[in-house]
Amino acid sequence: MSTLRPVLWAVLALGLWQALPASVLISSPGAIAAYAYANAPLLARATTETTLNAAQGFAWGNLAAIALGATIMVAPRSERALSALALLIFCVPLIASGPILRVLFGPGTGPQVTLAALAVYYTTLLALLVGLRAVSQTWTDIMVVYGRGRLTTLTKIRARASLPYMFVGLQISAPAAFLGAMIGEFTGAERGLGVLTLRAMRGLDTDATWTLALLSATIAMLAYGAIGWLGRRATGHPPVILLSASTGTRRPPAMRAAETIAIVALVLILWQLSMDAFELNRFFAKRPGDVLAFLSDAGNRATVMAALGETLAFALPGYLAGLALGAGLAALLTLSPALTNATLPAAIALRAVPIITTAPLLVLAFGRGLIGTMVVVAVMIFFPTLVACQQGLKQTPGQITDLFHSYSASRWRLLRAAQLPAMLPAFFASARMAVPAALLAVTTVEWLATGKGIGVLMAMTASTSDYNMLWSCVAVLALVAVTAYAAVAAVERAVLRVYASEQLT
Amino acid sequence: MDIHCTDITKRFGTTEAVAPFSVTLAAGQTTALVGPSGCGKSMILRMSAWLEAPDSGSLLLGDTAPRDVARRGALSMAFQDPSLLPWRSVRANIALGAELARTSADGVDALIDLVGLSGFADHRPAELSGGMRQRAAIARSLISSPQVLLLDEPFGAVDAMTRRRLNVDLPPLWHGTTVVLVTHSVQEAVLLSDRILVLSHRPARVTADIPVDLPAPRDTALTETDAFRDLSRAVLAALEAQ
Repeated sequence: MSTLRPVLWAVLALGLWQALPASVLISSPGAIAAYAYANAPLLARATTETTLNAAQGFAWGNLAAIALGATIMVAPRSERALSALALLIFCVPLIASGPILRVLFGPGTGPQVTLAALAVYYTTLLALLVGLRAVSQTWTDIMVVYGRGRLTTLTKIRARASLPYMFVGLQISAPAAFLGAMIGEFTGAERGLGVLTLRAMRGLDTDATWTLALLSATIAMLAYGAIGWLGRRATGHPPVILLSASTGTRRPPAMRAAETIAIVALVLILWQLSMDAFELNRFFAKRPGDVLAFLSDAGNRATVMAALGETLAFALPGYLAGLALGAGLAALLTLSPALTNATLPAAIALRAVPIITTAPLLVLAFGRGLIGTMVVVAVMIFFPTLVACQQGLKQTPGQITDLFHSYSASRWRLLRAAQLPAMLPAFFASARMAVPAALLAVTTVEWLATGKGIGVLMAMTASTSDYNMLWSCVAVLALVAVTAYAAVAAVERAVLRVYASEQLT
Repeated sequence: MDIHCTDITKRFGTTEAVAPFSVTLAAGQTTALVGPSGCGKSMILRMSAWLEAPDSGSLLLGDTAPRDVARRGALSMAFQDPSLLPWRSVRANIALGAELARTSADGVDALIDLVGLSGFADHRPAELSGGMRQRAAIARSLISSPQVLLLDEPFGAVDAMTRRRLNVDLPPLWHGTTVVLVTHSVQEAVLLSDRILVLSHRPARVTADIPVDLPAPRDTALTETDAFRDLSRAVLAALEAQ
């Protein structure tokens, strides 16, 4: 009976959905099934194409993450520079790197695979670093006692100790790889689910849009589930990975500023050198100097800034709404611990749904204006924030909770005085990680649907071949992303200094 | 391999963990360091393993720096926490000592029998009791036949009954090795060592240097003898005199 009940509920839900009046916004299970049946060969080809690209990107991105993690363990001095570079690349919205990769790679699957790799490497790296450090002091002492160095510690201890954490990272990155591949397809591929989605959106084909959104979300979730299963088979129950507070607080501001300048210089040099090293054509492979020259023209600057203004006006409300809803719901759910335990697994799974694949649906439902864009941004941020905050709330020390209970303090007082401060580090960590996510969501929606903002400015360059404009938009977006990330980190440090100073290192 | 400490010092911020400290420990002997908590005895042990570098002074194992002895695989250490790798079997955990010291692990099964873990070679650490895990940890430190063995409260976390068993069962296995034992138990110090150094509050000085010339076998019957009681009383008196 207990296994039958969810099935009955599902049947009931499908029946209700089917009974809804068909419209431009909403498809029905029957229509979706009919579309899928009629276009099965097309969908199968597209699915295979996207899955293959995603799988390749998944492999490359995770290999890069593992190589970075191993390098940081063997040469700890490289950590600052490598982490900053990794973060910077992570901050550039995929939809911005997409067109650039398209002009660099030309047609073919290069951009899709690269974007899938870019979509996964950072989350895996973060999880992996936590795992690589999850070793006891005595284990590393034993290595020293036998006169062995960091490399042996890595191979004999850290590598194995980090496995459960790596699986968590791989699991989260499976849907992300799918998302990266689809975004790559948005930016001008010939085949794949992203191409079909774009076509369905432009043709206002509701049934196709729904079918494609459901199909891609299902495949991404299947990959998520499969890796989760593998991980549990290989290493047992997955560990909870809490994102850490931003580092570097103990260093004086002058030193931080100097480091920032060094990193920026490093990025510019790498940019210039990589273009020169591959002797890429100056016509489409622009250098830092070209972008600077382009942006020093007042007219160009005004165009870019106006578009950026539109984008940020859509992104900021969505960002704040997503954070507030995620944190608010997490706090609300603690008032009922049973409800928290019931919803956490669902929220963890939903966090992995590649929201962008459902963005077309949300835009159909909420319109191509402010509301539709805001909803996509907010939904993109909501689930990761909810999960992080729920896990953060669980970190409230049990003895403190017991103390409050021993005074018969109300749930509300416990929440305000003990649990919310305990949640803050997780909240701010997810607020930082949400910055690139918000920019990705807003630019993708602009690219696909709304026809406003910096996303559409980049989309247009594909037909106008105004590569100076494209590179400048990407550079400006990257700058905005990094600045916003740093601003959130600064607020984080100021707040945590008061409420959770032990989190700052 | 004897151990020479000459005027070694260590400080953390304004805290003097070890003030100029000098001692020579004879090769092949077991020396126990006892003293109040936080007196710096563990720090002296950690400096001997080069886990901490002294701020000044010289510390030599034989006539070699600890780091070079460690690189030769001639050093071993056991800690209060057995720190076995949870993903390795007992046998593989013990063999780790040989892997890291680049010596042969041929004797691993014989050693498993000697430490009393016969039948548990293929078990994971999680399936063992605390005492059995500590037996495995000691076996790991012995598999490489070290010339210097450093024991940092190795029996501090097991219950009193188990501790008595381990105190009798394990020391014969390291007979002839240069051993430095840090312990809080006076009885354990007397039972296991050839010499006891009683240390003062931080920064540590040697306040009593007590030779232990008890006969073998060192077993529980020995703890009932007058000679054993006299020695224990002498060590306690030295500790309380501070």
